Amino acid sequence: MNRRYDVVVIGGGPAGLGAALAALDAGTESVLVVEREPEAGGILRQCIHSGFGLHHFKEELTGPEYAERFVQKAIDRDIDVVPNAYVTGLALDSDDTRLVRVLSERDGLSTIECSSVVLAMGCRERTRGAIRIPGSRPAGVLTAGLAQKMVNMMGYLPGRRIAILGSGDIGLIMARRLVLEGCDVVGVFEILPYSNGLTRNVVQCLDDYGIPLHLSTTVAEIHGRDRVEAITVAPVGADLQPDMSKAWRETCDTLLLSIGLIPENELSQSIGANLDLVTGGPIVSSSMETSLPGVFACGNVLHVHDLVDFVTEEALRAGRFAGQWARGVRRPPDTVSLVPGRNVRYSVPHTLSPDRPHTIYLRCKERMQPCVLRVGDLINKKLSFVVPAEMIRLKIRPSLLDNFYGDRLTIDIDPRD
Amino acid sequence: MATETTSYTCISCPIGCPLQLEHEVDTIREVAGNNCDRGAKYARQEFTDPRRSFSTTIPIAGALHRRLPVRLSEPVPKDRILEAAQRIHLLSAEAPIRCGEVLLRDLLSIDGIDVVACRTMLPLE
Repeated sequence: MNRRYDVVVIGGGPAGLGAALAALDAGTESVLVVEREPEAGGILRQCIHSGFGLHHFKEELTGPEYAERFVQKAIDRDIDVVPNAYVTGLALDSDDTRLVRVLSERDGLSTIECSSVVLAMGCRERTRGAIRIPGSRPAGVLTAGLAQKMVNMMGYLPGRRIAILGSGDIGLIMARRLVLEGCDVVGVFEILPYSNGLTRNVVQCLDDYGIPLHLSTTVAEIHGRDRVEAITVAPVGADLQPDMSKAWRETCDTLLLSIGLIPENELSQSIGANLDLVTGGPIVSSSMETSLPGVFACGNVLHVHDLVDFVTEEALRAGRFAGQWARGVRRPPDTVSLVPGRNVRYSVPHTLSPDRPHTIYLRCKERMQPCVLRVGDLINKKLSFVVPAEMIRLKIRPSLLDNFYGDRLTIDIDPRD
Repeated sequence: MATETTSYTCISCPIGCPLQLEHEVDTIREVAGNNCDRGAKYARQEFTDPRRSFSTTIPIAGALHRRLPVRLSEPVPKDRILEAAQRIHLLSAEAPIRCGEVLLRDLLSIDGIDVVACRTMLPLE
């Protein structure tokens, strides 16, 4: 590790590695990736199922295979990766120098100078505290992703008889995974009337193994003193409150939570980057630059994606602009803000410029079919259906803004006949 | 002979098309509901010989982590998944292992179904 780099990337998952490679492609000389774990690759290393890479590599890979391709490219391109390391602070010194405080097992505490920074810290899982399940606090209540790491990397089973709250894809995939490891999975409980995961995961992870999916049902209480002994589950009404008159008890020793992800932005907040209250990630321009000049962001730290392929796409963009910044390129500020409207929960990036093509990522608030996606009066795109669990990706040609003289475009999703 | 319809959800990609397969006893007449050729292929396969692929892990010695992720080169018959997983769990490995290395050939004595490492694991220095 040197004292000075063109670009420092915080996080060595798919977002960070993609950004680091793109920064080199943009003509920078040196890139440092700061990684918390003992090796780069990120959460993909524990996602051993296949289904990754269909867009980016045009073939179906497992998570470790997708990660390894990027790690190998980083090695081939001489990107410095400092493992077992944290960024404890970031200061904006002058226009051309940023100071990054890195605490690592290998080098202790050090200060790295650089021109631009890419935030790629990913996200973390919501825990029991986020949904306040009543009951005692025994061992055996853990997030699905932690269980995934225990089973797939560390070689421990989290328990023998498992219940899963939340039907996100990680929960569904862990249901199958634990059955293959010889556990009993008593059921998946989802508070909403539909699954939060992909339909194909309901089919190949639950239906194939006869694991029941209880929709409109939640965990109303956790029982057990030292270890989980049982849970009380109950159907919910329209107000999403459990109807205890219809509650029943499920015996289990483990409760996995698959109840959503939160972008990991403590560092972004501590340095004063403006955050979007809906995504939980930084507000970014069309060059993926945060409100702090020369600080860029991409991947799940920005907004939670469902496909790593789109993380890579976004990271390549952020890395390219971070690399250009390090080479002294300064772009004029974007001229058009993009505002979520009817049935749009959020959209990223938050502003656009008329000088180049853009890719917009957005999510709807509720399921709608068939529908039409509108961007101001400029785009009317028919969609057969939208669901909150699936991110919508919209490409915008530069010519679209040729005859637009406003400073604000609203995105709406409306029903159509 | 009466035509019957069996419904499937395609698992070939994240879209998950709802498929309807029309058949007279064992003879397939038509597949509907698919957005692409993979859907039609999936429905036919599912009707005649349903198969699934899966990943699991085996113990590895001398590496950074204690488990090595492995996948199948080709899917196994759906009703033999657990048997296949149990067979794979008898395997163990020692670093170094290269991504793509074959750890077991002809799983369950089925020609061409191999167990493949899906990451590289170097020996600890």
